[in-house]
Amino acid sequence: MANERTDLMQGTLELLILNTLARESMHGYGIVQRIHEAAEDLLKVEDGSLYPALYRMEERGWIKSEWGVSDNNRRAKFYKLTRAGQKQLEAERANWRRISKAVTKILQAT
Amino acid sequence: MIARLLKHLDHRKIACEVDEELRFHVEMLQQKYTRHGMSPAEAKVAAQKRFGNFERVRNQCVQIGRRSSPLQHVLRISLILLAFTGLLISSLNSNFRVARIGTVLIAIAVLGRLLLYVRGLSSASFLPTTKETSLSLSQKP
Repeated sequence: MANERTDLMQGTLELLILNTLARESMHGYGIVQRIHEAAEDLLKVEDGSLYPALYRMEERGWIKSEWGVSDNNRRAKFYKLTRAGQKQLEAERANWRRISKAVTKILQAT
Repeated sequence: MIARLLKHLDHRKIACEVDEELRFHVEMLQQKYTRHGMSPAEAKVAAQKRFGNFERVRNQCVQIGRRSSPLQHVLRISLILLAFTGLLISSLNSNFRVARIGTVLIAIAVLGRLLLYVRGLSSASFLPTTKETSLSLSQKP
């Protein structure tokens, strides 16, 4: 039964990235680590799949990237939330709550 | 010629940066696994497995990066300016020959914009949606 996989809803990864970047700017590796830590390994992100999502989000203007230096003195690309990204995060959070509430209601009713 | 050269350099820069960014991630994973007691060879294999298909991810990122590169923005703005100039020339000049130059400029701008749009569509056609990304729930026993 261990590690049985269930696909999550479309847009979930973007929501998790936006939420992670709301605290501070981070590089891709840091974002994945933070998601895993916060989800206590209940949620699995295939690390590579994060990057196309990050690039798409930057294209949409939700996040902005710049090269910096990591904790171990390596050159790394850091991402931070833009004002548009902050708005998107609020919209996505509200949307998630609505969906979650609706599904819970349906499950309780049946 | 200059535009093509600039575009080539821009594309190379994007590809190099994507490569550097992804390699950083894989190396960080390797270091983590080594700290956890794996041999360097085991850590390398585990890091590659955890990361997924490196080439596929790199190609996707390069395509998206090219689409949104500063050069693409400059090209789009230049085409808008070209169309605007053409419109001004053709509307302000009564001379038929000069007005025709304006029309040609508008046509070039419209065709250029169409070309950029079609290129964007073709490169976007194989990009993954979130649905295709590997985000899943782990159900622990």
